[in-house]
Amino acid sequence: MSVFTENFSATLPPPTRRSERWKYSSIAKLLKNEISISKEAAQGKNGWPESVSHNPVISLEAYIAVFKNGVFEPTLSNLPTSDGVECVPFSKREQNEELKFSNTYSKKEWIGELNESYRQDGLYLKVHRNVKVDRPIIIHHLTDGIGVASFPRHFIRVEEGGSLKTVVWSSATDDSSGMYNGILEATIAPNASLSMEKVCNEGGEVFHFSYEHIVQERDSRLKMNTFTIKGNWVRNELEVISLGKGTDSVFNGAYLPKGTEHVDNHTTIDHTCSDGTSSEMYRGVLYGNSTGVFNGKVFVRKDAQKTNAFQQNTNIVADRGASINAKPELEIYADDVKCAHGCTVGQFDLDSIFYLKSRGIDEKYAKALLVEALLNDVLSCVFCLELREEIMRLYTERHEW
Amino acid sequence: MLKIKNLRAKVGNNEILKGLNLEVKPGELHAIMGPNGSGKSTLAAVLSGRDSYEVISGSVNFDGIDLLELETSERAREGVFLAFQYPIEIPGVSNLNFMKAALNAKRAHKGLEPIKAKDFLAKVKDCSSLVELDGRLRDRSVNEGFSGGEKKRNEIFQMAMLEPKLAILDETDSGLDIDALRVVSKGVNAMRSSERSFIVITHYQRLLDHIVPDFVHVLSDGCIVKSGGKELALELEEKGYDWLKKSPHEIHNI
Repeated sequence: MSVFTENFSATLPPPTRRSERWKYSSIAKLLKNEISISKEAAQGKNGWPESVSHNPVISLEAYIAVFKNGVFEPTLSNLPTSDGVECVPFSKREQNEELKFSNTYSKKEWIGELNESYRQDGLYLKVHRNVKVDRPIIIHHLTDGIGVASFPRHFIRVEEGGSLKTVVWSSATDDSSGMYNGILEATIAPNASLSMEKVCNEGGEVFHFSYEHIVQERDSRLKMNTFTIKGNWVRNELEVISLGKGTDSVFNGAYLPKGTEHVDNHTTIDHTCSDGTSSEMYRGVLYGNSTGVFNGKVFVRKDAQKTNAFQQNTNIVADRGASINAKPELEIYADDVKCAHGCTVGQFDLDSIFYLKSRGIDEKYAKALLVEALLNDVLSCVFCLELREEIMRLYTERHEW
Repeated sequence: MLKIKNLRAKVGNNEILKGLNLEVKPGELHAIMGPNGSGKSTLAAVLSGRDSYEVISGSVNFDGIDLLELETSERAREGVFLAFQYPIEIPGVSNLNFMKAALNAKRAHKGLEPIKAKDFLAKVKDCSSLVELDGRLRDRSVNEGFSGGEKKRNEIFQMAMLEPKLAILDETDSGLDIDALRVVSKGVNAMRSSERSFIVITHYQRLLDHIVPDFVHVLSDGCIVKSGGKELALELEEKGYDWLKKSPHEIHNI
C-alpha cells in the first residue's frame, strides 16, 4: 500500500503504465506523496493568499464562483441572481432535486472513483430555456498548501435555446503540492450553446486531473479551448458525446510545457447521430525536458451518417530533452462521412527562422514569433478579447518572449 | 563598403566558391550573372550567414567589420539585406508585426527607442506604395498565399522598410512577368542612393534593362571570370556563357 492510498482508498486499482490510457502518463510519483484533504478547508477556515488574485481575469466583466482547496468561498464569489439562471454551490443548494450524474467515469477510472468518494463542493449551474446569460461565469479553483487534495465536481445544464459562456480556471500558489481532481459535467439541450475556456495556471507541484464530460443534444453547439499555461503534471481529459442530430463541437487546446512539466490531453468525440460536425485543433510546443501526450479519439457510429469530423494536432519539440507522444485514434463505422485528421511532430522550421533572422530579428524572438503564430490559431477562438489577452500575457511572461 | 577577398566556401564536401574577389563601393550596383550552379546563390547565402554553408578561407569586410564573424541577425542589424530567391511563407505571423519586430530590432541595435505606431504606419504606407503592395497583402501572414510576383514585391517592400546599407537581390527577377518586373525594378531604383550599395544576382539580362548596373561580373565555377560594364550583360545575352567557361582564369582554378 502506498502512502497515498492509505488516505484515499478505492475499489479500483490506481492505473499503471500497463494500461493503454495511462501508458505515457505515470502517476507513480503521486502515489509516493502524502496527501490529504486540507484540514483547514474541512473546517471551513480559509484565508486567501495575496500572491493570487481571486479573479484571474480582472479586466473581464463576469460572474465568479471561487473555490479554495475544494471549498466554496462565498465572500469572494459573485454569482448571478437573475431568474433565468440557477447558479449555486452544491453546499448551498436545497436538495429538492436528485442530481443524476450522466457518466460512468467513477465506475471505470480510479481517479473518477476517488472524486466520487471524496467529493467536496462544486458549482450547480442551470441556464433556463431560451436564456442567454448576460456575462461569462468564471469558476476559479485555487490549490494552496502542502499535500492538499481537492475534489471539486461541477454540473452545468443549458436548457433548450439557452446560451452560456464559462471560464474554468485553476491556480495553485508556488509552494503548493498535492492533487487537484476535478470533474465537470455538462449537458447542452437542443439548440443551446455552451462556450468554455479552460485554463490551468498552477504553480508548485500539484498533480492536476480534470475530466469534462459533455453531452450534446440535437443542434446544440459546444466551443471549448483548453490552455495549459503552467502545471507540474497535468492531465486534461475531455469527452464529448453527441447524442442528437446536427450538433456542432469545436474544441481546441494549447500546451507549452517547460522544465520537467508533463501535460497530457486526452480527448474523445463520439458522434452517434447524423449530420454532426466536430473540429479539433491542439497545438503544443515542448521545451526543456518536458513531456507531452496527445490522444484524440474520434468515433463515428453506424448511424452518424453525414458527419464531418476534423482533427489536427501540431507539435514542436523545441529542445533536445523534450518529447511528445501523439496519437490520433479514429474509429469510423458509418460510410457517408468526412473525416480528416493530421498529426505532426517536428522542430522549428529552419527556413522560417533564417528568414526572420535575415531581417535582424534574433533567434530567440524568431522562435517566439513562430510559437505565437501557432498559439494564435487557438487563441483566436477564445470568446472574448480580455481573456485572450490575459492568456497571451501569461504565456509571454512565463516564456520571457 | 564591401570587400570580399579570396572567398572559398563549401556545402557539405562540395566546394562551391573557389576564391572569389569582389569590391563594392558605396552607391554602386553590381550585377552578378552566371550559369546554373556557378555559385551565385551560394554567395548570397554566405553573405547572409546561412547555416550549412561553411567558409573555408578568405574574408568579407563590411564597413570595417568582419562580416563572417557575425550571426545572421547581427548582419541584418548592421545593414545587410537579402532579398530571397524563394521567400518563405510563415503562416500566422503577420507581415506588419514581422516588420515592426525587425525594425525595432535594428533600432535597438542603434540605441534608438521602438518606433512610434504612427510613424510606423506612415512608413508602411510609403514603402508599400513604392511596390504597389496593397493593404490586403500587407496585413496578411508573411507571404502566405502570395503569388510569386507578390512575394518578390514583398521582399522589396521589406527592403524599403529596413533601409539597408547593402542589399543583395538573389534572382529577384526570376518568375516575374514584365509588369511585376517593372514594379520591382521601380522599387529598387527608388532605393538607389550614394550611400546604398546593391549586389543583384540574376540569370537574365532582361532585369538589367530596368535596373542599370555599374558593373557586371560573370561567376563561373565559383569565381568571377569576367568583369565589365553594363554592356557585358548584352554580350552575355548574345553569346551565352560557354565562351567564358573556357577562360584560362577558370582553368587555373581547377
